[in-house]
Amino acid sequence: MYQYNQIDQTLVDERVEQFRDQTRRYLTGELPEDEFSALRLMNGLYIQRQAPMLRVAVPYGLLSSTQMRKLAHVARTYDRGYGHFTTRTNIQFNWPELAAVPDILAELAQVQMHAIQTSGNCIRNTTTDPYAGVAESELEDPRPYCEIIRQWSTLHPEFAYLPRKFKIAVTGATEDRAASQVHDIGLQMVQNADGEIGFEVLVGGGLGRTPIIGKSIRKFLPKQHLLSYLDAILRVYNLKGRRDNKYKARIKILVEALGPDEFRRLVEEEWAHIRDGELTLTDAEIARAKSFFTLPDYDANAASADAHASLSDSLATDIEFNAWYRHNTLAHRVDGYRIAIVSLKPYLEAPGDITDSQMDAVADLADRYSFGETRATHHQNLVLTDVRKGDLYAVWQALAANNLARSNIGTLTDMIVCPGFDFCSLANARTLNISDQINEHFDDMDHLYDLGEIRLNMSGCINACAHHHVADIGILGVDKKGEDWYQISLGGSSKEDARLGKILGRSVPASDVAITVEKILAVYVDQRGEDESFAQVVQRVGIKPFKERVYATAH
Amino acid sequence: MPLLIDQRIVTEDPWQLLDQAALDEGSPIPENGPVAVPLIWYRQHREALQQRNSPLGVIVNGDDDLAALYADHSQLDLIAIEFPTFRDGRGFSIARQLVRSGFNRQIRALGHVSRDRLALMQSSGFNAFAINDERFQTDHLQAFSEISVNYQGTTADPRPVFRR
Repeated sequence: MYQYNQIDQTLVDERVEQFRDQTRRYLTGELPEDEFSALRLMNGLYIQRQAPMLRVAVPYGLLSSTQMRKLAHVARTYDRGYGHFTTRTNIQFNWPELAAVPDILAELAQVQMHAIQTSGNCIRNTTTDPYAGVAESELEDPRPYCEIIRQWSTLHPEFAYLPRKFKIAVTGATEDRAASQVHDIGLQMVQNADGEIGFEVLVGGGLGRTPIIGKSIRKFLPKQHLLSYLDAILRVYNLKGRRDNKYKARIKILVEALGPDEFRRLVEEEWAHIRDGELTLTDAEIARAKSFFTLPDYDANAASADAHASLSDSLATDIEFNAWYRHNTLAHRVDGYRIAIVSLKPYLEAPGDITDSQMDAVADLADRYSFGETRATHHQNLVLTDVRKGDLYAVWQALAANNLARSNIGTLTDMIVCPGFDFCSLANARTLNISDQINEHFDDMDHLYDLGEIRLNMSGCINACAHHHVADIGILGVDKKGEDWYQISLGGSSKEDARLGKILGRSVPASDVAITVEKILAVYVDQRGEDESFAQVVQRVGIKPFKERVYATAH
Repeated sequence: MPLLIDQRIVTEDPWQLLDQAALDEGSPIPENGPVAVPLIWYRQHREALQQRNSPLGVIVNGDDDLAALYADHSQLDLIAIEFPTFRDGRGFSIARQLVRSGFNRQIRALGHVSRDRLALMQSSGFNAFAINDERFQTDHLQAFSEISVNYQGTTADPRPVFRR
């Protein structure tokens, strides 16, 4: 993975001291509230319902075991012993003291981490495919380009006060696991007729109050122009994006208002000024970025007959391990290896939460079995990307001992859930009680396996942090006269077939969410053909049969 | 109002900046000395202003159409860019485009200008900063060097980190 050089380290160290001074000036009254608010947000610090919340950046989801242990230490020392992984693959701490935040940042800087631009109206953490570099269908590893974008976007002097936040995703595989079509900019690696690899550029996707699928404004952007083209898009947005209404300030509103063709014209006009200038990437820079993401030293004996025999034996004798293997591990590009997903969706725990001891356990497993690295995923889980098949049983046992081996990846209970009203000052409704309710209602794993792959996402407000619009089953918490109600939508996707879910009908009370989900799933079971997934059935039959069943017996 | 130019505190500012409100109230254009007026006013009174034979400047903001200004600023010695609020960052891009268009005289930040954005403004092309009295402290000069490294190019050195 990328290793800091002197410039990277100096930047992060000096940013800590700069923020320490900003905090001091705020606490002494020298810095006004509204200015400190913008400055602290650009350093990941929110003031929440209970306490400040600090969001730490995990660039494109990649963590070394050293970094993971530091996060465990921060959780133990400065927080209440846990953290929460987000859909931007960052981690949030919910209980730090405001005055201690500079010290936390100094600790993070020791392991090449920071909280820069994890919030605020600036360019946020660039995300990517959690299986980058090991996915079977990949055109090229997108991580070197994520790192190039990370450097360009970090403390960019011109783009620190954008109209609104700005999120970029890069994906290099046929399957889109980075939700690139619902990002402000989605970059999809593509190959042109000459066999060159470059990027298709999508702009103006996003969720929140106004969910929109991104529009392609350039079918092929040669790699060397990556930064100059991004620069042009950001400049057009910075100058023309709305600033009168924060709910209409995202780039998607500008692209919709101008139309994609006019937006493209403005970008190309701006780009014409800079396209062969200083931002043009050199071959040396691309090679340098790639040099940090080379293949690990794979074991040539990983696919030996002995390793296979050992795995087959464990699979035959331990049905729990067998279920975990089937649901929580995936094919790897290298024979003898599997991708192992660490479920952060244990029974009746907040989705995405992880304790300090669990972080230490994952760090130990990464060191021992997966080249010292872990990935955080958009789905709020962790991944050990390079586990030898012969080691899977030992990995599973260690994960199970730490409550990290629930075999529910891809199933109904592998939910994306925001912290909701319990923590977030923006939320309208609670979410964690509803995820518990769904877990209690659907506690039969065989039933979940029979239902197959289903993405359920639940947001506690219209800001849609849990991406409910692009789930098979989306749940949105709403406040009705002081009570929590839940609006359900069906048929969304954030993958290569990205589409927005359709609202089923009027919202249901908190007590009825799981039973409503059960009715929806009953329609699916009735309607499905052989091997037909929930998503396919919703696409084929539409939402009408679901609507009829859900509201049939209601008054 | 304290003024920083090229990272120094300047006590004597020869420029008179006349905003739209002052001009609307009938403030006369001084006969001599450098004067800056809003871009719209400049366009309406260009000939008269140029006949004064003193340095001229304009005041712009993010709502102005700046294409013509980028195309021709040869008569101007100062362009002041207004930051109407702390969160309005259009001025950064305007400065950047001005420098790119070849303007190499004074680019002054006006309005919501305070310590924590000075370094960003300078990197984007500003070389002068007008700071409100109540917000100004002499330690502001340190703000320019709080972060001593940068990945992006600046006006002083347009090369991004990978070309140095």
